[in-house]
Amino acid sequence: MDFTLSKEQLLLQKMARDYAEKFIEPIARQIDEENKIPQEIIEGLGELELFGIPFPEEYGGADAGYDGYTLVMEQISKVSGGVAMTIAAHTLGLGAIRSFGTEEQKKKYLPAGCKGKEIASFAFTEPGTGSDPKQLSSIAVKEGDYFILNGTKRFISNANYPGPMVIFAKEMESGEVTAFILEKWTEGYSISEPWEKVGHRGGILVDVYMKDIKIPAENLLGKVGQGFPILLLGIALGKIGTSTAALGATLAAYEEGVKYAREKTHRDKPIAKFQAIQLKIADLAIKYETSRWLCYRLGCLANNIKDPAQFAREAALTKAYAGDVVVEAAHIAMDVHGSYGLMKDYKVERILRDALIGPQIEGVSDMQRMIIAGAALR
Amino acid sequence: MNIVVAMKQIPDLQQIRIRNREPVLDAVPLTLGNIDKNALEAAVAFKESHGGKVTVLSAGSEDLEDTIKEALAAGADEAFLVLDDELDGADSEAIAGILGAALNRIEDKDLIIFGEGSGDNYSGQVGPRVAEILGIPLVTYASSIEINDKTAKVVRSLEDCEEIIELTLPAAVSVLAGINEPRIPSVTQILKAGKKPKEILEMDDLGLALAEKQVITLSNLAPESERKQILLKSADELVKALSSQSLIGR
Ligand SMILES: Cc1cc2nc3c(=O)[nH]c(=O)nc-3n(C[C@H](O)[C@H](O)[C@H](O)COP(=O)(O)OP(=O)(O)OC[C@H]3O[C@@H](n4cnc5c(N)ncnc54)[C@H](O)[C@@H]3O)c2cc1C
Repeated sequence: MDFTLSKEQLLLQKMARDYAEKFIEPIARQIDEENKIPQEIIEGLGELELFGIPFPEEYGGADAGYDGYTLVMEQISKVSGGVAMTIAAHTLGLGAIRSFGTEEQKKKYLPAGCKGKEIASFAFTEPGTGSDPKQLSSIAVKEGDYFILNGTKRFISNANYPGPMVIFAKEMESGEVTAFILEKWTEGYSISEPWEKVGHRGGILVDVYMKDIKIPAENLLGKVGQGFPILLLGIALGKIGTSTAALGATLAAYEEGVKYAREKTHRDKPIAKFQAIQLKIADLAIKYETSRWLCYRLGCLANNIKDPAQFAREAALTKAYAGDVVVEAAHIAMDVHGSYGLMKDYKVERILRDALIGPQIEGVSDMQRMIIAGAALR
Repeated sequence: MNIVVAMKQIPDLQQIRIRNREPVLDAVPLTLGNIDKNALEAAVAFKESHGGKVTVLSAGSEDLEDTIKEALAAGADEAFLVLDDELDGADSEAIAGILGAALNRIEDKDLIIFGEGSGDNYSGQVGPRVAEILGIPLVTYASSIEINDKTAKVVRSLEDCEEIIELTLPAAVSVLAGINEPRIPSVTQILKAGKKPKEILEMDDLGLALAEKQVITLSNLAPESERKQILLKSADELVKALSSQSLIGR
C-alpha cells in the first residue's frame, strides 16, 4: 500500500489548480451570480482535455483513469462547484456510453465529447421520481426503425448544451426500463428555463420535455430492459464526480478557515491562537483528509471494476461520506468567519451554498445508506 | 532550428515554510525554475510556428529524472540530463562547466535559452558563463526574441532603456520572466511526458569531477518582517504615507 502520488499525478493536480486559479477563480463569483459559465471556460477545459479524462485514447480520451479524474475534479471544484458539476454530469453521460455502448456508438459520441465539442448529459430524474426507477413515467414506443419518446425529465444537468444524452424511459412493449442515446435539440426536444438553485451555480440544471422524439433504433443503449444495470453502474461512476465535487468544496472550506483564522485578530492576536478556533481547524483537516482518501480510493477502484454491485456499494459509501462531510466542513469554516462569513465578500458564503448540494444529488444521503446497509445485511 | 533550454531543478518555492527565519525544505516537492519555464515557453512557441526541436538540458540530483517531466509536458521534445546527487547545491561555476561540456555533446544547437536567474539563488551567472565556455555571443535580459534563419534579433530590457541587438547564431540568450506566459499542459501532454526520449549522463561520462566549491553559503535567512502598526484614517493619508517612504510613485 502506497499513498503517494506519482509525478504525473502531481502534475495533473497542478495543471488543474493552475487553470482553476488563473482562469476560473477571477470569475467564480460572476459565474455564481449569473448562473452561467462563459464559453471560453468550456473551451479552455476542452483544450486541456478535461472533458475526456478517464476515457481511452482510441476514442479521443486522455486516458488518465478515474484516479486522475478525482485529482482534477477536486481542484476545479475547490474554485467553482458549478464548473465541476458541468464536468461531472458530462463524464457521467459519456461514461455510460463508454461502458454500455456499441463500438459504433462509442466512435460516434466519445471523440467529440472528450474534446468538449459536445457536452453530454444523463437523464434519469423525473418530477415523480429521483431514486426509484420503477416509478419512471417517460415512455418509449417502438415504431419501425425508431423509438418514439415522450415524457418529462427533471433537474437534468447540461441539457442546454448540444451533445448526447443518455436517457431512461419505460419501453412499452416489454414494460421494462430501457436506456437510449438521445441527441439533444433534435425535433421534439425542449427545455425549461434554468432552475435557480442554491449552489453549484453555473452548472446548468433544467427540465427536459420530450414530445414525440424519434430516436433511431441503433441509439438504443444496451438492450431493451437493460436500463436498470446501466443506471446502477452509470450512477455509481457518476458518484465519483459528485463525491469529488464535494471534496473540492471541503478543501476550499479548510483553506478558507485556516486563512481567516490567521488573518483575523482579536486583542492583537490572530484568532488562530485561540484554542476554540484551533479545534475547528483540526476538525476541518480531519474532514478533508478522510474525504480525500475515500474519493481517491473510489477513483482507483473505478479503473478496474470487477463486480458492479460491489463498486456501487463503495461509491455509495464515498458519496454519503463526502456529501455529508462537506456540509459540516463548510459550516465549521463559516463559524470561524462569524458574521463576515455570511457576506458575499467572503468565499465561505458560496462554499456553504455549494456544499448543500452534496447530500441531495445522485441519490440523497439516506439512499446511499440503504445501498450500504443492503450490501452489509445481504 | 534546434533550441536548447537550460532549466534548473529547485524546491517548489510556494511550498517552502519559514521557521525561525530558516526555510524548511523537508518534503518540499521539486520543480523547475520559474523563469526557466519562460525560457522553455519561448522555445516551444518558436518551434510551433517555425518547426525544429526543443531539447531541455539540466544538471541535478537523481530526482531530476522525474522533475524534468514538467518540461517535457510543457512542450520540450527531449531531455539531456546530467545526474549527480551533489549537483543540487553546486555553485554557478561548476554548473556552467557541466552544462558547457554537455552542450558540446549536443550537435545542431542554434540557440541556447536560459532563464535570467534561477528560482532559488538568482545569481544569473550560468548563462553568461556557458556562453563564454562555448565561445558564442550572449544577450541577457531578453524581453523578446525574433529568429531569422542565421540571425536573431533580441530586445534587451534594461532598467531605463531597451536595446535591440542582432546576433549571429549559434548564440545564447537569457530571458526575463515577462517575455511570455508559460502554457498549462493538457492531460495527454502530462501523461506522455515520461515517454519522450531522455539522454542521461553522469559526471564520469563527461570526464568531469565536481570541483571544490568556490562559493560557500554561510547562512540563508528570510528577511525579518515586522508589522509597523500604523493606523491611518483615509486613503489620502495612506497615499501620502506610502509615497513619503518611496513605496509608491517612484
Ligand atoms: C445540482 C443537481 C444536479 C442534478 N443533475 C441530475 C442529472 O444530471 N440527471 C438526473 O437524472 N438527475 C439529476 N439531479 C436530480 C437528483 O439526482 C435527484 O433529485 C436526487 O437523486 C434525489 O431525488 P429526489 O429529489 O426525487 O428525492 P427522493 O429520492 O424522492 O428523496 C426524497 C426523500 O425521500 C426519501 N426516500 C426516497 N425513496 C425512499 C425509499 N425507497 N425508502 C425510504 N426513503 C426514501 C429520501 O431519503 C429523501 O429524504 C440533479 C439534482 C441537482 C440538485
